[in-house]
Amino acid sequence: MVRFAPTSLPAGSILLLAAVMGAAGCATSIPEDALRLPESTLEIRAMQTRMFEAPAESDILIATIAVLQDMEFNIDRIEKPLGVITASKVSDADSKSEKTGLLFLDILCAAGGGSGCDASSTAQDEQAITMTITVLPSLARSGEFTVRVTMQRVIYDKMDRIRVLERIDQPTIYEDIFDNLRKSLFLQVSSQ
Amino acid sequence: MKRMRIMLSVPVVVLFAGCALTPPDVTGAGTQLEMRQIQTREYDTLDKQLTMRSVIATLQDLGFTIDQADSELGTVTATRLHQYSMRMTVTVVQKGTERVSVRANARIGEDAVTDPATYQDFFVALDKAMFLTLHQVD
Repeated sequence: MVRFAPTSLPAGSILLLAAVMGAAGCATSIPEDALRLPESTLEIRAMQTRMFEAPAESDILIATIAVLQDMEFNIDRIEKPLGVITASKVSDADSKSEKTGLLFLDILCAAGGGSGCDASSTAQDEQAITMTITVLPSLARSGEFTVRVTMQRVIYDKMDRIRVLERIDQPTIYEDIFDNLRKSLFLQVSSQ
Repeated sequence: MKRMRIMLSVPVVVLFAGCALTPPDVTGAGTQLEMRQIQTREYDTLDKQLTMRSVIATLQDLGFTIDQADSELGTVTATRLHQYSMRMTVTVVQKGTERVSVRANARIGEDAVTDPATYQDFFVALDKAMFLTLHQVD
């Protein structure tokens, strides 16, 4: 027969403790609003979308691919009938000021007699950016296309642990991409 | 005393059962038909291609980037990296000559999304995108 060690805790508390431990150890919850449109949808869509004119859909797709190459992305997939291009790149996410700060923390920690001071290993190391560009021909007017760019990135630290998962939201980045696309489209059309 | 022992043994069983070595999760936990119902909507439209474009626009609205899209088989797979990692596959199938069926399934990290309300939210967003695509409103 199994005998339990005597305990001064009431049985109810033990049950509660076990339930909490069980839940914390094994269960995860799905956020309620995981697929709910955020209130800022229209604003974000406007930031990510521009209208372009081009003789054919292929012109705008070729110009877009060239822009992605200009920005040092690799093309992962293209689905031409749907006008979808997915591209990605991994680049440096090192920040000197962050590294200096963390090194200072490590020095303080070591000076205080601490062991296992490895704040520096949490420094940002590289970022993986994925981008989707969609080209939607206008149903009403031929030669008009809506181009939409969406981006997100993962930042890893020196130990390859994920530090940040985020959508890229800076409007200036989108502006720059659309400026580049405008130039690329001009070159593409005028070279024909 | 006996009752006390039973009460004490419950937390131990809960602790171990909760974290026991699990069999391979291949077939999923939900009932096949029930999950299909939760994950599927039909639309009165002739155009599979425009429906797919609406699905892609919806996924973009929800912050996803597209991993893969296949217009022939009507499949779109997308990933969202925002605080957590979420993956969705949406399929668009022509039903007869007048309807299109859209099915979505989602996972967050290692958990399947089974909550009907979450899929309902997705289809509310898709309804809007379908309207915008068909009427070309931006």
